[in-house]
Amino acid sequence: MKRRSIGTVSPVARTIAYIVMILFTVLTIAPLVWMLYSSFKLNSEIMQSTLGLPTHPTFANYVRAWDLGNMGVLFGNSVFYTGVATAIIVVLAVSTGYGFAKFRYRITSFLYFFIMLGLLITVQSVLAPLFIVETKVHLADTRLGVLIPYVAFGLPVAVYLATAYIKGIPDSLEESAIIDGASYLSIFRSIILPMSRPVVATITILAFLNNWNEFPLIFILTSRDVIRSLPVGINEFAGAVNQDYGLQFAALVIGTLPMIVFYLFFHERMAQGFAEGALKE
Amino acid sequence: MTTKSLKRFSYTVLVGPSILVYSLVIIFPVVVSLVLSVTAWSGFGLPKFVGLGNFVEMFKDSVFYISLKNNGLVVAISMFGQIPLGFVLAYFVYRRLVHAGKFFEVMIFLPITISQIVVAILWNRIFAPVGMFTSIIRDITGNPHYNFLMMQSPTFAIVPVLFVILWMYTGLYMIIFLSNLQKIPLSTLEAAVIDGATEGQILGHIIIPAMVTVLFTTAVLAISGSLTSFALIYAMTAGGPAHFTDVLALYMYYNTFSYYRYGFGSAISVVIVVLSMGLISITRAIANIFERRFA
Repeated sequence: MKRRSIGTVSPVARTIAYIVMILFTVLTIAPLVWMLYSSFKLNSEIMQSTLGLPTHPTFANYVRAWDLGNMGVLFGNSVFYTGVATAIIVVLAVSTGYGFAKFRYRITSFLYFFIMLGLLITVQSVLAPLFIVETKVHLADTRLGVLIPYVAFGLPVAVYLATAYIKGIPDSLEESAIIDGASYLSIFRSIILPMSRPVVATITILAFLNNWNEFPLIFILTSRDVIRSLPVGINEFAGAVNQDYGLQFAALVIGTLPMIVFYLFFHERMAQGFAEGALKE
Repeated sequence: MTTKSLKRFSYTVLVGPSILVYSLVIIFPVVVSLVLSVTAWSGFGLPKFVGLGNFVEMFKDSVFYISLKNNGLVVAISMFGQIPLGFVLAYFVYRRLVHAGKFFEVMIFLPITISQIVVAILWNRIFAPVGMFTSIIRDITGNPHYNFLMMQSPTFAIVPVLFVILWMYTGLYMIIFLSNLQKIPLSTLEAAVIDGATEGQILGHIIIPAMVTVLFTTAVLAISGSLTSFALIYAMTAGGPAHFTDVLALYMYYNTFSYYRYGFGSAISVVIVVLSMGLISITRAIANIFERRFA
């Protein structure tokens, strides 16, 4: 929907607005553009001309970074953790949201408050004890030991969004299904889940983004390279090839590109999800 | 099974798994860290009870105060940098002062999607001797020997970190403000314009009052965001030079995982939890007072 500005706006205000907007946009995008085109330059060319566009664009950095940095394994791990954790978060959040929104038990308000408390507890404040606990039960340095915390930390905001949304689904639908003899769990599958599609999309996108970029948990809870993810791997790789900027840029782009593509497709929902997720009161 | 117990059973199946996972991974460790915070423990043998010794030691440690100050600076850059800037940018788009507002919005929000690790490494390259920023300054000033030295300075090393945080998260605040500005009914604005209200009056009498709740929400976000700023600073400076860019999360990390002081590290975790809960509660309390005044 196109809408013109209401009232008249002075040209001066307009000019200032444009200057601020363009300046900020350039500041935001320029580093990313520099990263992208530098990744097609060999290190020697970066050293000679830091700002110049690639004279002989090459994929050599990507080939070497993929190989040396074990990017294939890291990429696969990132996809695995992100995909599995996100799927579990969505299912658990919607089922919990259904329980919280439609079952009028007195314990619900307590349990809801209990989970919302998690919004105030940062990952950092449980890192040390979580590591100790996982070590004691032999979950540290395993894939499961990464997935479980990913799910747990994704839950509070996802449950918040799901509960708020499912509260808006009319009770009458559920009630008539109960009169027809449907069980609660079949109502969950055949009514609640399909009707929650918009909030499922929002939760999926938020959880996907958070899990893909997650660093502290997997960094602390794992030590074997074969089960680590892109952010941890890229950080180590960048340290190891400290002197070769070309390789570093290629690694950075490998870690960034999937999310940027994802973002360009789902920008609208992602923005909406962030705005809603932030307003958890 | 009776209908009643069937309902209870369904509720347990629906809600139980989440509560279980959440309790085991988040609440239980918080309790563990409360217990460990009054002990000295290196991970082997039994923890030794030391009472409040860890806290006493922490409050005498200069690195603790440096970390606390840096956390404060991160909150400050959010409150006085990102929030006003995000609001201004959102307002320009909302009031259609620029064309192609959608384009600007998409671009400014983009860094949010990138991992903090990538952002940190990228900006380290930008500020490096063979880097974008350094090269641009050399071209502008004509001084081929210019180098960006701020990150070696104990006093100012935190400044580039703050700048990168500003760069990365302003878009988030812009999106939050924009989506809430768009909830203000158009008719309200139109009526004000017809009545001859100036831009300043519209802002002061319609927009700002409608944004009070959101403003406080973003303040809460700034506080909790500050206390989670681990990955970015770890990858950018690792707290250096000599812990001058530590934040509490890094201070906890080094004590726990580099020096194997699990008791002391847990005490720092407890301080982080208390600080975030305390600050957020205070912010909410202030928000309530303001809301009552405006509503």
